[in-house]
Amino acid sequence: MLSTNKTIQEKITELTKMVEWFDGDEFKLEAALDKYQLAEKLAAEIEQDLSALKNEISIVKQKFDSEK
Amino acid sequence: MEKSANQLVFSVSDFIAVANQTFEYAYPNVLIEGEVSSFKVNQNKFVFFDLKDSTGSVGCFMTIWQMRVPIQDGMKVIVSAMPKLTQWGKFSLTIKSIRPSGEGALKKSFEILKSKLEGEGLFAPERKRLLPRIPEHVAVISSTGAAGYADFIKIISDRWGGIKVDVANVQVQGESAPDQIIRAINYFNQQEILPEVIVIIRGGGSADDLSTFNDEPLVRAIVASRIPTLVGVGHEIDESLADLAADVRAATPSNAAQILVPDKSEIIRAVRVQVSSLLPRILQIIDQQKQIIKSNLSDALENVVRFIDEKSLKVMHLRSILLQLDPKTILARGYALIRGTAKIGAMIEIETNKVIMKAEVKNVINK
Repeated sequence: MLSTNKTIQEKITELTKMVEWFDGDEFKLEAALDKYQLAEKLAAEIEQDLSALKNEISIVKQKFDSEK
Repeated sequence: MEKSANQLVFSVSDFIAVANQTFEYAYPNVLIEGEVSSFKVNQNKFVFFDLKDSTGSVGCFMTIWQMRVPIQDGMKVIVSAMPKLTQWGKFSLTIKSIRPSGEGALKKSFEILKSKLEGEGLFAPERKRLLPRIPEHVAVISSTGAAGYADFIKIISDRWGGIKVDVANVQVQGESAPDQIIRAINYFNQQEILPEVIVIIRGGGSADDLSTFNDEPLVRAIVASRIPTLVGVGHEIDESLADLAADVRAATPSNAAQILVPDKSEIIRAVRVQVSSLLPRILQIIDQQKQIIKSNLSDALENVVRFIDEKSLKVMHLRSILLQLDPKTILARGYALIRGTAKIGAMIEIETNKVIMKAEVKNVINK
């Protein structure tokens, strides 16, 4: 169910949907514990992803001091 | 050119050419500060005015395209110019660039241009675009040596990760700064893969330093950018036309970083809160379900009891009717049950509550 190929934004959206499920009409008590465990795993994954990510900063080679 | 008594004799045209060569050599680019007077624009192309101080005055010429900020009579300006003697022998300055000088002139120029661009709808809220919530590819236009840039990079790195940041290193103050920034905006807009947002940042500075961001072509380039723009220039109290033209305005470079990316520690906290709220919610739902089941059971029991009561009552009623119909009850009330044939001489049996008797029929009268 969880996918490491997803972006952080996608994972956050997925987690939000999971949380919304608990308040929605489709809520089923029988499935709640499984859903909860999935949400916990996803949250841990998001936290790990966020902590590990670094920005990639590069200065463009193009010079802007005169018209090319 | 001829020689006469060891002295050169110039033709008028030659003298003008030599004079201009001398000017070009001696003053290839001279900066002069003065007050503008007799400002006029001819054919919507050529600009003429006099630059003067308390005792002197010199004519100036430039094209309208070189005038990047509004100029009016009485405004104090600094011109970058080359002296020139025209073919009619008139001395003038050919202006390369002009900018307001001093707080009053800068403010006046700012207000005139602001009003003009506002009138064109360049600052209208309806043309503002939203920035991506979490960008993955960002273009930054700034001076990489500036403190404002360092603050911006530090804050986005602290707050978020995984962003591709392409930085265009440009001057952010001085005469060539607006053109450099415009070229950088155009550069990013011409990329095959467009960044999701262009961030233009510069730290605090004097009004003159920040006047770069009140340059009309720069403001128009920001408006024309296909890529949404975020501009953070100067301190919180500074307002530039570039700020007003941007899709989103940040008060400072640090604030631009805060607007651009969410804070990962806040997101981690929010994610934890979201998940930790689930278990109590499940327990709460279980409790609610228990309550519902309990209440349903209680209702069911109540219904059963009521049903039994109703039926019991009915049975009791039927029993009492049955009891009334029982022959023994009738005999107990003093009546007698007679068995046999109503015929004179026939033997009949009479049953009372207490005894059974045999008797003979003596008489039969029809009613």
